Parts: sequence; structure tokens; C-alpha cells
Amino acid sequence: MNLAGFILAQSLNALSQAAVLFFIACGLTLIFGIMRIVNFAHGGLFMLGAYVGTSVAIATGSFWLALIAAPLAVGAVGAAFERTFLARLYVRQDAGAYLMVTFGLAIILAEAIRLAWGAQPLGVAIPDRLRGIIIVGNQPFPIYRVFLIAIGAAAALALWQFLERTRAGLLVRAVSQNAEMVHALGTDVQMVRTGVFAFGCAMAALGGVLSAPLVTAFLGMGSNVIIDAFVIVIIGGMGSFAGSIVGSLLVAFVQVFGAYYFEDLALALMYLLMLAVLIVRPGGMLGKEE
Amino acid sequence: MRRLALAAVVAALCAAAPFASPFTLTLLIEALIFGLFAMSLDLMVGYTRLYSFGHAAAYGLGAYATALMLLHFQLPLPFGILAGVALSVAVAVPIAWVCTKSTGVSFAMLTLAFAQLGYAMLYRFKDITGGSDGIGGIPRPPGPFGLAVFQGKLGYFYLVVGCLAGSYFLCRMLVTSPFGAVLAGIRENDAKMRALGYNTRAYKWAVVVVAYGFGSLAGALYTPFAGFVAPELFFWLVSGRVLIMVIVGGAGTLIGPIIGGVFFLILEHQLSETTELWPLIFGTVFIAFVMLAPEGIWGLVRKYTRAKPARAEAEAPRAAA
Repeated sequence: MNLAGFILAQSLNALSQAAVLFFIACGLTLIFGIMRIVNFAHGGLFMLGAYVGTSVAIATGSFWLALIAAPLAVGAVGAAFERTFLARLYVRQDAGAYLMVTFGLAIILAEAIRLAWGAQPLGVAIPDRLRGIIIVGNQPFPIYRVFLIAIGAAAALALWQFLERTRAGLLVRAVSQNAEMVHALGTDVQMVRTGVFAFGCAMAALGGVLSAPLVTAFLGMGSNVIIDAFVIVIIGGMGSFAGSIVGSLLVAFVQVFGAYYFEDLALALMYLLMLAVLIVRPGGMLGKEE
Repeated sequence: MRRLALAAVVAALCAAAPFASPFTLTLLIEALIFGLFAMSLDLMVGYTRLYSFGHAAAYGLGAYATALMLLHFQLPLPFGILAGVALSVAVAVPIAWVCTKSTGVSFAMLTLAFAQLGYAMLYRFKDITGGSDGIGGIPRPPGPFGLAVFQGKLGYFYLVVGCLAGSYFLCRMLVTSPFGAVLAGIRENDAKMRALGYNTRAYKWAVVVVAYGFGSLAGALYTPFAGFVAPELFFWLVSGRVLIMVIVGGAGTLIGPIIGGVFFLILEHQLSETTELWPLIFGTVFIAFVMLAPEGIWGLVRKYTRAKPARAEAEAPRAAA
């Protein structure tokens, strides 16, 4: 086996993993940027997306429909949650209250999913068109993972263009810098907050649906992935969109190559990376210190 | 008045303990240990507004350190526990130094990172920690001078009650001392305290180490009682649960979190046997407390047992908003 081929295959593997992680991390970082909320329920929403998506795919036989339905449903859940609970907490200006309300939602989500779908993992087949493998440098590589890389890259590019080029994107960036000023200029800041929160939840759900064919939908997928997402957002810089891309890539590569080269240390490596970044730059690589 | 009532409850518990069934004693011991754990976190959350999302690290450190002390050195039980706590505090000193470099959300995330790192390290050093299996068969060597009283369940109950009461009085002394006044100042306005010439970083560092110390005592007490330790002690869900207990009990009151911890552990035991919906109820009750009664159980007790409305100043900002 030649080394170059191996590294290429592993790199593609890492890229596809980064794509899934990005879907969770970008929502998390956008929500933090706008509202200064660390959303502990994000893992639960990711899991909800996976379950809803898998159920839709099984019921209708269309994975593509699942890719649309799950984010819409989870986005609606997110919007309702923001309106009912978070919106009432903004006046309190207490970071701890957000942490805890979203942690409460995470518990409720995990439990509601267990009650609704049972403890058995829920599998879904890869759609026909994405099945099979391609050969990359003498190594077989699943087409589905190529699809993940493509859709992840497309989403990152689209979001970046949205934030930089459109008026709505400008509004989002403005609110993240100074919500009071934007409000004073006559914009309904509450609408922006609800919108961004719902959008972040929908992105997490999309990530959940996309990862379901790889790992099946299972209880506990939320509490596993949320820590990865936190690490990404902290490494990249909380509230920084570009940071979430850089962080996703870094963490995915550390996970994939770490699992191969430092088997014993694989788990710890990610946290060591995070600590190193935080000690050197407390605000993250591309973030600013609070 | 409220304190007298509490002291009476504790005295009644101690007097009734010899007649309690082994099952009740087990539950009580576990609940009191968790109460101690929650109280230790309150030093950070309630008194200094340092939200730690990695307090499981303190618990896990204490539990593992004590396990190793009892297993390898056969130290008498109380000394094994003390040695475990001492070891944990030594580890906590540099951790607290790094964590207090930042505040707010970054602080929460740093503490979380250390707890998860500890979790990961247990898998890395399998030879010592047993990896995912944890460590089992931890003995309860006789106490000093051959005293075997702590080996029994009843003796252990009194040991836990003693540790909890002692820790409570130490913490109470700490928060009512000038040191505690500085902590309250940091909680209300860190920048102002710095302007007044206080090295707030040093104070935060100290309180985090102290909180780790008491948290590790809770973990240390858990080990010989359960007889085994597992990596789950370090997992972030433990940190989340204990934070919930602090808030529901009433942050910044010391007694509140003890009640929160005891109350929830007992409730969990009872309800999880009768209903599958327990975690759902748990999450809902928790959200309700954050939304409607941020002062927690003890805060409510205070509010309704106090003759004159002295909490008006605490209510004012919410009313204004």
C-alpha cells in the first residue's frame, strides 16, 4: 500500500467527517454570535433530525424528501423553543440561564426521542444513486462520502455568500456586533434572533439526516456529537463563521488521523488541541475575546 | 429559625438511622454525597458566578484517587479518603489556574474541556485506571487504631453526615469571611473589584481549587461506598446534572444545593422505579425553575418564611425588565 494513496483516502475521509461536523458547528456558532447562547440542545436537535429524517425516508422511500422535511420540522421546533423560553430570558442577561434552559431541552429531547422511537437504533439505506465506490489512488472510497464533501462545501460557500453579500446576511452580522444599535435603527431584532436560532437548528438536523446512513440513528448520538461541536466552535472562535469551518476541518483531521497514528490518544487529542488553542488565544483562533 | 429546623432534621436523621432499612441507608448515603457535591459547585456558581460545566472532573478525580489509595496502599479508610482529596487538590491547582484565565462562557468551556480530557485519559492509561471497565473490588480497610466502625453501612452513614456537616461549616465560614465578600464582589462586578486593587484572578483561582477540593471529597466518599469507579463519573452529563441541582436548590445559599442534591437523588430513585417518564419530568421541572424561580427551592423557602420583604432589592431588576 503506498503512503500517498493512504493519506489521500484518509484525507477524503476526514473531509467528509468535517462536512457533517460543520452542519452542527455552524449553527452553534451563528446562534452564539447573535444571542451569546451556548446551545446545549444542539446535539439533541441533531439527533431529532436524524430520527425524523430516517422515519421520513422509510415511510416515503425518498431520502431526498427526508433531507428537506427534517430540517423544516426541527427548525420549527427551534423557533418555538426560542419564542417560548429563550426570548423571555434575554432581559436577564445571564449566560448561566441560557446554558441551563438549553440543557433542560437537551434532556427532554433525548427522552422524548426514546419514548417516540424506542431504544433500537434506526437504520436507513443510502439512496441508490449514491451507493457504490470510486477508486482514489488504488483505494476504494464510498461515493456517499464524496456526496457529503460536496454538500458540505456547497453549504459553507452558500452560507458565506449569504452572510457577506445579502442584506439579510448584513443584518445578521450587525446584530451579532451590536443588537441594541440595530434595534434602535428600526429593525426587529427579535425576528432576526428567532430566524437565526431556527436556521441553526435546521442545519443541525440536516447534519443529522446526512450522518444517519453512515452511523444509523441511535440514542446518545446527540450527547456524543455536541462535545465535538463545542470543541470546534471553541477552537474556531465562538461566533465566528469562518472559525466553524476551520474548526470542523481541524477536528475531523485530528480525529481521523489521530485514530490511526495515536490510537491510545485519539480521544484526548481533540481536547488537548482545544486546551492549547484556548491557552494561547482564549477567544479561539478566529474569534475575539469576550 | 430555618437553621434550627434544619439542625433538627439532621439530628432526627442521625437518631433514626440505626432503625432504617439497609436500602434506605444506601439511598440516604448516596443522596448526602450528592448534596455535598452540589454544595461544592455552589462556591463557584452561586458565590462567584463562575459557571463550571466540568465539575464532574472534581468528583471523578476524588473517586479515582481514593480508589488507587485504598487499593494499592491499603490506607485506613479515612486516611485513604483524605489522601485522595489531597491528590485531587494537587491536580486541581494547575487546572484552576488555566481555567481562571477566562470567565463566562469560555470558563464553562475550559472546565468542560478538562473534565472530558480526564475522561479521555482514563482510556489512555488503561493499566492504572482499568479503561472502560473502571476499577472494581475497592476495599474499605478498617479505620485508624483498628476501628472497624466505618466498614458497616451505619458507620459509613455517620461518616458521610460528619463530612457533609463539617464541609458545610467550613464553606459557611469561607463565604462569610472577608474572602467571601471579595468573591461576592467579583460576582457582581469583576472590573470594579480590580479597580479597587484586588487581584481577582488569584481569588478566583483559590475558590476554584477549594470547590474542587470539596467536590473531590464527595467523589472520595462515593468510592469506598460503591466499591467501584467507572469513567462515566467524568462524563459531561454528570456535570450538567450537578449544575441543575445547584440551580434548582438555590444557587448562592450552600444549603439550597445540598437540599437540591438530596431531594433530586431521592426523587429520582423513587420515580425511576414507578415511571419511565422520570427524565422528562426532570427536564421540565428544571426548565420551570430556571424560567419561573431562578432563586431555587431554598430561595423560595427564604422568601415565604421571612417576615419582612427583604428580598425586594433582588426582585427589583426583574420587575423593571
